[in-house]
Amino acid sequence: MIFELFKESLRSIMSNKTRTFLSMLGITIGVAAVIAVVSLGQGASESVKKRISSLGSNIIFITPGRIGGAGGRLAQAVGNVLNEEDVRKMKQFCYSLSNITPVLQKQSVILFEEKNTIATVMGVYPSIFDMMELKVEKGRPFLESDEGKRVIVLGEKIAEDLFEGEDPVGQKVYIITSTGKQSFTVIGVLKKSGQLLFFNPDNAVFLPFKTAQYRIFHTKKVSLIVAKTISQDLTDTAVSEIDDYLYKKFKDENMYNIVSQEAILSTLSETMAILNLTLGGIAGISLLVGGIGIMNIMLVSVTERTREIGIKKAIGATNSSILLQFLMESIIITLIAGIVGILLGALIANFVGRMVNISVLITPSVIMIAMGVSTGVGLFFGVYPAYKASKLDPVDALRYE
Amino acid sequence: MVVLENVTKIYKMGSEEIKALDDLSLEIRDGEILVVMGPSGSGKSTFLHLVGCLDRPTSGKILIDGKDISNLRERELARIRNRTIGFVFQQFNLLPRLTALENVELPMIYAGIPKRKRVERAKKLLEMVGLSDRMKHRPSQLSGGQQQRVAIARALANDPKIILADEPTGNLDTKSGEVVINILRDLNRKGLTIVIVTHDPDITIIAHRVIHLKDGKIIKEEVRV
Repeated sequence: MIFELFKESLRSIMSNKTRTFLSMLGITIGVAAVIAVVSLGQGASESVKKRISSLGSNIIFITPGRIGGAGGRLAQAVGNVLNEEDVRKMKQFCYSLSNITPVLQKQSVILFEEKNTIATVMGVYPSIFDMMELKVEKGRPFLESDEGKRVIVLGEKIAEDLFEGEDPVGQKVYIITSTGKQSFTVIGVLKKSGQLLFFNPDNAVFLPFKTAQYRIFHTKKVSLIVAKTISQDLTDTAVSEIDDYLYKKFKDENMYNIVSQEAILSTLSETMAILNLTLGGIAGISLLVGGIGIMNIMLVSVTERTREIGIKKAIGATNSSILLQFLMESIIITLIAGIVGILLGALIANFVGRMVNISVLITPSVIMIAMGVSTGVGLFFGVYPAYKASKLDPVDALRYE
Repeated sequence: MVVLENVTKIYKMGSEEIKALDDLSLEIRDGEILVVMGPSGSGKSTFLHLVGCLDRPTSGKILIDGKDISNLRERELARIRNRTIGFVFQQFNLLPRLTALENVELPMIYAGIPKRKRVERAKKLLEMVGLSDRMKHRPSQLSGGQQQRVAIARALANDPKIILADEPTGNLDTKSGEVVINILRDLNRKGLTIVIVTHDPDITIIAHRVIHLKDGKIIKEEVRV
C-alpha cells in the first residue's frame, strides 16, 4: 500500500513538471547555499588551522604590551621594552623551554644590482630555522659561528624577485638603512613556506641577530621573542614560567604580552565556528523560504485535487492514506531538490574554492544535515497541506467543481 | 441489510438551518433494487451520502449489517465504503490520470490486495462490463457510457454487498443509459442490493420498489413485481 501511494505521489509530481521544478528550485538553492557556505567555511578554517599548527602548537610569542586605552583613550604600544638579556634569563630560568630567540623585525628595501624589493628583515638566532621549521633549499642556514658576519638567508619570493631564477648563493645584496647601504653575502635560500602567523617567511630575509643589531637596527631592544616548549603539554607551564619572570621584571602585566600558538588556535577556531554558523544560518533562511514555497504549492495542489480526494474517500481511502500520499509528495520533492542542491553546492564550493585557493571540506555530516534539513522542511511544510487534504469532508469534496 | 431509524440530517447554511432529511425511517432489503425519486432539494443526495457512509446523521440511527454507523470512527467508515459499498456517480468520477484498469484497481489498493490479484480481478470486471479492449485507456479517451461502465467495474472491485448509484444515467444518452441500467439489473440478479437515486422515471422499470421523497420525507412508496 505504501508503495502504491509512493507511485501515486510520483505520478502526480510528474504530472505537473514545471510547477514541481519551480518549487524544487527554492529548496535546491537553499541546500546548495548551505552546503557551499559551510564547506567553504570549514575548508578555510581547516587550512588556517593547519597552517598555524604546522608551526607546532608549542610556539610561544612574547611581545611588548599595550598600556592605556581606558576612558576612551586609544591603547598605545609600550614600545620595545624587551632585550637580549631577557632572552638569556628566560633560557636560564624557564625549564619548559627547549629553544628561544629574540627577533628584530622591520620592513626594508633590499637591492641586488638594478633590482630592488621590500622585505621583512629579521634578525634572529640560528635556532629560528628549527623552531619555525624553515627548510633551506639552496646553500645553508647561518650558524652560531656566523654571528656578526655579513651573511643573509633569503625567503623564496625575495630570491625570486631579485634573482629571477639565477643562483643567489654567493651574491652580494644590499639593505637600505637609515644610515646608508649595508652589504650582505647570500648563503642560503629558503623553501617556499606560505603565510605563518606573524609574518610570511617567503617575503623575509634572515640575518644573524648580532649582525642585524649592529648593521641595521642599532638598538639593544628586541621587537619580539619567540620561544618553543619541550613538548606541547608543557605550553601552559612555559607560559606561566615566562610570566613569572616578566612580572618580576616589570611589576606590570600590561607591559608585555605572552601568546601561545595553542591560545591563538583556539580563539581562531571559535571565531571561525561562529562565522560558519552565522553564514550557514543566513543560507539556511533561503531553505526556510524554499519550504514555504513547497507549502504554498502543496496547498494549491490540495485545493485543485479536492474532487480527487473526495472520490478516493468514497471508494475507501482512509484519512491517513490521503495524508500519507500528500506528505510523500512534499517529501519526495524536497528530497530530490535536496540531492540536487548538495551536488550543486559541492560544485559551487569547489569552483569558488579553486578560485580563491581554499581547500574545500565537504564532510559527511554536512551532507547528512543538509539531507535531514531538506527532508525535515518537506515534512514540516507538507504536514499542514496534507492534514488539510485528509480532513476534507467527502461530501463537500465530491461536490467541488 | 440497511436500516434507517428516524434519521434526521440538518445542514447549516450560514445562520439558516436546512432539514435535508426529516425523521426518515426505511429498510433497504438484501437483494432488492430500490429507486429513490424526488425533485432536487428533496433530500435524495443526502439520503445516498448517509447510506454510503460519506456523512453522519444529525440524529437517528443507520444500521448496516446491524452496526450503527453513526458511532463508527472515520477509519471504520472508510472500511465500509471500501468493502461493503460501491458507488456509481452521475459524473463518473474516475481519476483522470489513471487508466481504466488502474481506476478499477484503486479500491483494491486501499483494501491491501496484492498487485497480481488486483490486476487479475480488475481485468475480469472490465471484461464483464464489455471493456476488455479499453483497459489501458484514460477516462478522457473513453465515451461517457464507457466511463460509467468503468465506474461500475470500480464499484464492484471489492465485491460489495450494495451498489449506490447517484443519477447513473444522468449524463448519458439513451442508449448508453440502457446499457448501464442493464448491467445494474444483471448485478442485482447475481445477488447485489442496488439503490438508485434519480430523476429519470425510465429507471423505475427495473425497480422492485420506488420511494418518492419530498422535503426530506417519504411521501409515496410503490412496490413493483
